[in-house]
Amino acid sequence: MSIVQALSYPPILRGFVALVLAGCFFPLAGVFVLRLNLVTMRFTLMHAALLGAAIGLALHIDPLLTGLALDLLIIAAIGRLARESGLTLGYATTFFMVPTIGLAFAVIYKAGVPSKDAFGILWGSIYSLSRIDLVLTAAYALAIALFVVLLFPRLSAVLFNREVAFASGVNEGALTTVILLFVGVSVALLMQLIGALLLDSILLLPAIVASFTARSTRGFFLQACIIGAFCSIAGFFTSLALDVPASSAVTVIAACLLGVGLLYRRISRRRS
Amino acid sequence: MYLFLIVSEPNCCIRVENLSIQRDATFILRALSLSVDCGERLIVAGPNGAGKTTLVKTILGLVRATSGSVSVLGTAVGSREWLRIRSRIGYVHQESVSVDFPVSGREVVEIGVCMLREGRGEKRRRVRAAMDAAGCAHLEDRMYARLSGGEKQKLSIARCLCQDPKVLLLDEPTSALDPASRAELMGLLHDLNERRGITILMVSHDSQVLTGLDWRIERLEEGAFAGQGS
Repeated sequence: MSIVQALSYPPILRGFVALVLAGCFFPLAGVFVLRLNLVTMRFTLMHAALLGAAIGLALHIDPLLTGLALDLLIIAAIGRLARESGLTLGYATTFFMVPTIGLAFAVIYKAGVPSKDAFGILWGSIYSLSRIDLVLTAAYALAIALFVVLLFPRLSAVLFNREVAFASGVNEGALTTVILLFVGVSVALLMQLIGALLLDSILLLPAIVASFTARSTRGFFLQACIIGAFCSIAGFFTSLALDVPASSAVTVIAACLLGVGLLYRRISRRRS
Repeated sequence: MYLFLIVSEPNCCIRVENLSIQRDATFILRALSLSVDCGERLIVAGPNGAGKTTLVKTILGLVRATSGSVSVLGTAVGSREWLRIRSRIGYVHQESVSVDFPVSGREVVEIGVCMLREGRGEKRRRVRAAMDAAGCAHLEDRMYARLSGGEKQKLSIARCLCQDPKVLLLDEPTSALDPASRAELMGLLHDLNERRGITILMVSHDSQVLTGLDWRIERLEEGAFAGQGS
């Protein structure tokens, strides 16, 4: 089957468009995760999205929507717990990390969610996206792109140093909450696209590679997007050519680029 | 009568009254009082753990007072009015940014104009002027993480200058500097104070920075002022 023929099938075309959108724009959230050290939060949100998706499957509701809803709920709960208990964001995040994954497997087991669907949550499938899923992905891609472009100076301040941002007059508390929301939505959408376990290949790896090659914050965001776009497009066509799952192809390509990025960093450090 | 006295002190730039900060059972600052006049330059010196950084952060509004009050430029820190004027206070932070984060020298300075409601051209002009004044125009395309301690401090000061500050708060700005860079930085601060009238409050544990300076010096020990220096 040729590539043109493959793309004439609506599920494959939808998957391709969603993957390209995710590759182009979701690494923007990866930059936030990397810079604000939200790696633990990313895991918690993955677990929460998994729990939400399991509940959705059990109740026959779109798992993407339930995953999204639970992620937003968890972000609000983490923020409140951290504020009221005086715990750091990291501790508050860890508090939710284990119970969510435990509950997810309990729901999968007790509600009798078919193992194929349960594994679908973990591995994701870009070809099972509905039209609503695609619209949500596109809307979110547009939202995060606008967020970064329009608020870049303030975001740049928060990413540099939160105290400096505050002293410069930026409402860094509110901006950080919005950043957390964007990270949460990214995680929930990407789980549906490529699955929980391969989420990093689009969210985080492009941002890590960009952190090796970029020399400015603008360059960091831009290069993360370009690398993400390359990984998703190359991964998609590689998966068609080699008949392997798209998520695997995207991940392998992103991992190869990470290796190249590490090599580049080593060389550039030796030179400087 | 008391209120009248406050209003009739227009020259007071920073006023700290009976400020105490408590964390769990420990007092970081104990009933501290301090008054800094507009145009004054002051060093709060003391060993590590004396409460110097906490004092700076409380003046900035980053740390809440357990008791007592802080006002800057006649406005109570944390009040609604304070939110409007806080960008007139420049803050040179202690921690350096993590090594792997890519940010250019120019982007660091641009943070100082991020809240200005000016056009791009005016913002660019301000950034350029501030970098010239701080002597760091040549660093605009350099990666911040690869700069020396002195170069980073110059960028931080340029960032503050973009805000057209009335007050400059510096947290251990000389801690990572060699003697030559330290002297250059102190000269720059002295110049900004003399020529622009910016009130400067700097905290430092570095005893070498205190020698031969015509600054007011207050010594902070275990959360309380121990006495006045030269």
